Amino acid sequence: MLLRAQNVSRSFGALLALSGASLDVTEGEIVGLIGPNGAGKSTFFNCVAGDLTPTGGNILFNDVDVTRATPEAHAKLGIGRTFQVPATFVELSILENVMVGAFLRHPDRNDARAAALEVIEFTGLKAVASAPARTLGTPGRKRLEIARVLATQPKLLLLDEALAGLTPSEVQDAIALVRRIHAKGITIVIVEHIMEVILTLAQRVLVFNQGVTIATGTPREVVDNTAVIEAYLGRRHARNAGAHAP
Amino acid sequence: MFRFGIIVCAAFLLYPFFLPDDFYGRMAAEVLLAAIGASAWNILGGYAGQISVGHAVFFGIGAYAPLLIFTKFGLPPIVGVPVGILVSTAVTVVIGLPTFRLTGHYFSMATIAVAELIRLVISNWDYVGAATGLMGPAVARTWLDLSFRSPIPYYYIFLAVLACLLLLTWHLQRSRMGYYWRAIRAGERPARSLGVPVVRYKLYALLLSAGFTSVAGSLYSLMVGFIDPESGFGILKSVELIIIAALGGAGSLFGPLVGAMILVPLQTMTNSLYGGGGSGLTYIIYGGIIVLLARYEPGGLLDLWHRMMSRRAHRADVAAAKPHAS
Repeated sequence: MLLRAQNVSRSFGALLALSGASLDVTEGEIVGLIGPNGAGKSTFFNCVAGDLTPTGGNILFNDVDVTRATPEAHAKLGIGRTFQVPATFVELSILENVMVGAFLRHPDRNDARAAALEVIEFTGLKAVASAPARTLGTPGRKRLEIARVLATQPKLLLLDEALAGLTPSEVQDAIALVRRIHAKGITIVIVEHIMEVILTLAQRVLVFNQGVTIATGTPREVVDNTAVIEAYLGRRHARNAGAHAP
Repeated sequence: MFRFGIIVCAAFLLYPFFLPDDFYGRMAAEVLLAAIGASAWNILGGYAGQISVGHAVFFGIGAYAPLLIFTKFGLPPIVGVPVGILVSTAVTVVIGLPTFRLTGHYFSMATIAVAELIRLVISNWDYVGAATGLMGPAVARTWLDLSFRSPIPYYYIFLAVLACLLLLTWHLQRSRMGYYWRAIRAGERPARSLGVPVVRYKLYALLLSAGFTSVAGSLYSLMVGFIDPESGFGILKSVELIIIAALGGAGSLFGPLVGAMILVPLQTMTNSLYGGGGSGLTYIIYGGIIVLLARYEPGGLLDLWHRMMSRRAHRADVAAAKPHAS
């Protein structure tokens, strides 16, 4: 088991944003996390990434307890993450952004540069490598976000709505990129609103609602699950959907 | 670019041979000294983006150490330079660990508080001369006292120190350290997610910055031969370091030197124009520069220069491309 999150909870003051979510990820999987706004998927995501410390439960990565580890320790162990709103280093060039990631495994400048260039080529940013990162628009920044974290050579990649805000054709490009990353042997956990993305990419889906996981299974199973429809569309729709089901 | 560098180096090395009198020699030495201090501040404030308004602490410690060594033990003041560095770096750990939990303005405000606190302690501590301060050797006993009548020896000492500091900074800016500093300045959260140990690298920046600021302080008191709490630990010292760095360009290698070359002569001019009564004018100028920089050129003059150059290069490209197109 690559990642084992057991009974993870997190409260903000009196608000229990996440109460006892569990997730097992085996190496080579693509797992999707979905749920309506405020369902706790981002909280769970940030707990796994090390940005938030869970108030309960524990998280193991490769049998190492990372429940309370810092974000930088997560990166070192091989858990990489992107941010929902791209956190681009706008004052640096695109190559320099990626080099910051590459320095984690390559302390020497020339090695880091070579590794960064490889990733830039892989993610299709080569034409603009030396441009300042501020010149990139949202799709470019999302791509750079992925390139930067790939440069840290993660074993597990956590994508936080990496495809949100893209046009349909850009989404297709991004899906292809995620596929190529997966083909390199990197395990992926993806939070996404766009159902199309989850349906095409994820092998397994975990559905959140009001801080708990309400369903898990293949994308097809989950979409047909009454509790899931209820969570997304309300009870009446769920009844209707149930009546139409074969 | 390489030729330009050679010319600049030669100009700095040969400058003292073309001096009309000591007035300009002293001013040039002061320019270099200010550049050392601002370049030291630049490591933490410019590259790592942690705006310290309390660097006078390190400047003051560095300035007091040589004169204290001299008055208490009769040793050559220069022995105090490493002492100053040691004390400064010890203080950084004490200051750095709690204040680095704060970010942005809160960090800056905490550094002001610490610096003012230390200034008050020094002003009331008789062992270090309290409010009157300390004096250096009136007449040099040996050349080791580094007490010269002419400003030229100081000029070359400062030039050597500045060259070492800039060389080190240049090397660091190209290495992992420099990239991590700039990443921290751009955003701590994403930096940490990429495996940057933020607190550790901020502490490295503070240690280096404090050490060299302390050296700047030592050199100051070696040249002037006198130090009191206000000129060593006063908040205006901290502000001066920031303005010089920001004027030239914080976070760039030569920004602080450019800033010093503009600001120090300006200061000397206003001071001599208005005599003793004009010293307040310096701070009006500081205020004006802060407003103008913050409003129009937060990147500093070097940044403006680079943008103008790239615009010119772009225009030249367009002009060169046109005949082919038509």
